[in-house]
Amino acid sequence: MPVPILKQGDVLIASIQAALTDHDLLTLRDELADRVGRLRAHGVIVDVTALDVLDSFATRTLLGIAYTARLRGAETVVVGIQPEVAFAMVQLGLSFEGVATALDLEEGLELLRARSQGGRDHAG
Amino acid sequence: MADRQVAERNLMAEMQITDADIERRKKMVGLTAADLSRISGLKEIVLAHVDESTATFFEFLAGLEEAKGLVSKRDLMERARQLKSEHLAAMVQAHYDRHYVEQRILLGLLYSKAGLDTRAFLGAFHALLRNTGTTIMKHFERSPLEGFESFMSLKKIAFFDIGVIMDVLVFERERVIRQQQEAIRELSTPVLQIRDRLLLLPIIGVIDTNRARLITESLLRAIRDNRAKMVVMDVTGVASIDSRVANHLLQTVSAARLMGALVIVTGVSSEVAQSLVALGIELTVNTVGDLQGGVEEAERLLGYRVVQTPPAAAQSS
Repeated sequence: MPVPILKQGDVLIASIQAALTDHDLLTLRDELADRVGRLRAHGVIVDVTALDVLDSFATRTLLGIAYTARLRGAETVVVGIQPEVAFAMVQLGLSFEGVATALDLEEGLELLRARSQGGRDHAG
Repeated sequence: MADRQVAERNLMAEMQITDADIERRKKMVGLTAADLSRISGLKEIVLAHVDESTATFFEFLAGLEEAKGLVSKRDLMERARQLKSEHLAAMVQAHYDRHYVEQRILLGLLYSKAGLDTRAFLGAFHALLRNTGTTIMKHFERSPLEGFESFMSLKKIAFFDIGVIMDVLVFERERVIRQQQEAIRELSTPVLQIRDRLLLLPIIGVIDTNRARLITESLLRAIRDNRAKMVVMDVTGVASIDSRVANHLLQTVSAARLMGALVIVTGVSSEVAQSLVALGIELTVNTVGDLQGGVEEAERLLGYRVVQTPPAAAQSS
């Protein structure tokens, strides 16, 4: 099942609705990398609220998405990691090192807004 | 009766007595096929003296101060008497399966309920065995060796039964301790909200793997339910932190971070800090000296500003 990617201002929102196959994940990565440049987005939010498991491949792919997006000039936030998923991930020693995480979509948008404002203040 | 059956079956599962365990117990008392056939040979002799042997058991108890809990209660006593004679009858059936063990557990539960002293029980059981032994030896007057062998075979079953009953008595006694431990564990991991989006997690006592999991789980749930952004984790009450505990704490911190919450650790005492350094453990988290400092730092990061105004009483005067 492909993941819908929505555009909200200068933020792209990928809302994962159901468990993804490895292939779906790779498609999502390529799609996001393409759109970040094309739509000149400054932020990417990947919403994983619906997922009840994040394995090492999914974690690595999400990290890949974040690094690719950063190279293309956009900040990535992973939002909606469930308590059980978070716990399982630390047990397995998986982490989103260097990628921002937030409680839910709202928090993620807030985080991106704060960052871009901070960046602008810094620049100005 | 049905309830009671359920209770002892539950107890059997709780005590982890399985078919395999029963076989193991038989092996431990050295029960063999030869024993079984010898016990079968005793059937009629023992059955004929069941009432007498049972009476010996309870007479012995009646003479003991320690057994007053059982002897003074008529209903318990009657039930025990009935179970005991059933016990003796079952002992010589040479068929020891789950049901047999269940019956022994039932008796053990009754003793435990009556608060029967284990030493008194052992004494009375010995008196009963002595009585049965005498009966058997009398019967085998012509061939004492055979009588002795048969009695020893029966004794193996007696020890098998003592094993089960003792286990029940000990298990029931430890039940209270287990319940208290459970209560302490539940009480000791509160997650408190002290400001909007700011949680306080005071950790007190010993952290083991099990407790660390409970702490992490309740913290993560609280983060979601309160939409928390910051957590102050206070470890003032943790006496010692070794590499395992440090690892647990780090896991809790990273799990919280995955849910978008930042954790500040406070209250690392000088001993703990020194032992962490000495052990070469790096606690790669935000730390602030004490709880007050941690809360203030969290408030600052959340954009709160605490302003002191003149106290209310002073204002009104």
